Amino acid sequence: MKGAVVLKGVGKAFGETRVLNDVDLDIRPGEFFSLLGPSGSGKTTTLRIIAGLETATEGTVMLSGKDATLLPPGDRDVAMVFQSYALYPHMTVFENIAFPLRMIRTPAAEIAAAVRAAAARVRIDHLLERRPGQLSGGQQQRCALARAIVRKPALFLLDEPLSNLDAKLRVETRVELKRLQRSLDVTAVYVTHDQEEAMSLSDRMAVFMDGRIVQTGSPEEVFSRPATVQVAAFLGNPPMNVLPARLSAGKAVVGSTTLDLPRFGTLGEREVVLGIRPSGVTLGSAGVPATVTLCEVLGEDVILDLDLGGLLLRVKNPGRKRIPEGERVLARIDPERLHVFDRASGARLD
Amino acid sequence: MTSRRVRSVALMLVGAFLLAIWTVPILLAVVTSLKDEKEVLAYPPTFWFAPTLKSFHAVLFGPTNILGDLVTSLIIAVATTVLTIVIAVPAAYAFARLKLPGRKPLGFYVLATQLVPPIGLIIPYFLILNRIGWMDSYKGLVLIYMTFSLPFAIWLLVSYFEDIPREMEEAALIDRANRWQALWHVVLPQARGAIAVTVIFVFLNAWNEFLFAVVLGGANVRPVTVSMYNYINTEQTQWAQLAAAALMAMLPVIVLGLAAQKHIVNGLTAGAVKGVGRR
Repeated sequence: MKGAVVLKGVGKAFGETRVLNDVDLDIRPGEFFSLLGPSGSGKTTTLRIIAGLETATEGTVMLSGKDATLLPPGDRDVAMVFQSYALYPHMTVFENIAFPLRMIRTPAAEIAAAVRAAAARVRIDHLLERRPGQLSGGQQQRCALARAIVRKPALFLLDEPLSNLDAKLRVETRVELKRLQRSLDVTAVYVTHDQEEAMSLSDRMAVFMDGRIVQTGSPEEVFSRPATVQVAAFLGNPPMNVLPARLSAGKAVVGSTTLDLPRFGTLGEREVVLGIRPSGVTLGSAGVPATVTLCEVLGEDVILDLDLGGLLLRVKNPGRKRIPEGERVLARIDPERLHVFDRASGARLD
Repeated sequence: MTSRRVRSVALMLVGAFLLAIWTVPILLAVVTSLKDEKEVLAYPPTFWFAPTLKSFHAVLFGPTNILGDLVTSLIIAVATTVLTIVIAVPAAYAFARLKLPGRKPLGFYVLATQLVPPIGLIIPYFLILNRIGWMDSYKGLVLIYMTFSLPFAIWLLVSYFEDIPREMEEAALIDRANRWQALWHVVLPQARGAIAVTVIFVFLNAWNEFLFAVVLGGANVRPVTVSMYNYINTEQTQWAQLAAAALMAMLPVIVLGLAAQKHIVNGLTAGAVKGVGRR
């Protein structure tokens, strides 16, 4: 049970403003779990409630099988890496990493050994005498990680720890972070608004929208079967195309085009939103006529914006060659890769 | 000359002019203190004279010396400063961090005390001290000085504490520090500059204070600002001794200023740019 996190019906209000509603989570020991969502969706508040920095207005928080709803942060056996790293600027790297051990009155010799081991793990053992102000962003981030792992907590909380790093370093650190978590065999709860980060790191993830969890599952599940049209539009780069359509008798009318969709024949007649990933559209000799309005060449990939009778349809990688803007093409939407959502509620229908 | 050089020379001249305005009274006091009383009153004023330390000898060791009064000033100023800081630091921290009911009106009240002109408070203070029997006593003067220094110190420190990122304390709380430990190990070391500035302001105000000292003290407890006044009386003004006494009274302040110079500059700019050097 060590490292398990269970949230039941957790809500949070700041005065009149409700920021979190009815959050249920069940994070298993040793899991790398991401809280993913756009800014203001409640993911950081959830993490802060797990850390004990905020108290839930309602609901319960169980950590390692014990009720921790009202426990102060220091008694929860958690460690946290903040977005800003929150290093103590007046202390050296050594003193920063040693701080959690000093607070529990660990003998000096033990502290020195533990600090060196933690610093070596994140490869900053040559920087122990420096102050945080003398470190690069990546080194500061490692220092914050070392401070978090030094006392071997049951739970590792990370609040967008990579967002202040440059793109290349971010990808490198991401890999190391995952390796570190695996080697320590510790539960990690990771907050991010970057879907790519969540997809690559997590064993499972929860997607937050407007203060609620809209979907929980493995990255593959969430990506391939998004529960709502909002989740579908949030995940993927470029995001999924969403096309308002009218469904009736296995046919969908999108703008001036009609698509044959026998798979959705059972859904009857209704207003829907069709979702198709940019990679689910191909250009060829047959399909829906469309006009190219923008062509972006991104090295490996080419992204095309098509005008489909007034609707925007993005296409990824159609042959890796530049197509002049204004050219007429035929776009084939793979019906097997279509997602269908209710127009009013946004919920998945198939 | 390049325009940049012209600029720096012009700036230097302006600086020198301002410095001259500031230093003329002090230089005048130095010159006056080194003359004897007759020489001071000579007309036209003399620029070449035989300097003498007679006045310094008189104010330090003569029958009307100010040594005891310097000690009195020191006791009052140090006591005021220590008590103010001990109370102001936790109070300012509470204002900056804790969600206290009535935090806003209380904060305004703290500042509002600074709006009252001191002269308007003399009579009420006199009556209060008289009633509780604290007239002309150390505790009386320290108490009165604290009514001014405490709100000022709290107000000054709150803005510094607010500038220290909250996450840093939250990190300490997660790392098993309690609130006091977080304050002691994380917040205070970063507020060192601000506290140094506050110490100096409070000390200076208490050291320089004259109005309350002369009305509410003066016989048993006589700070140096009041005793200097004794060199001015109806028969004559002992300019040389007055100047010597003034210079002696300035000395501790100058020493304190030099010692804390670095902190003052850091402290004054620390609040200016949010988060610089703190992350």
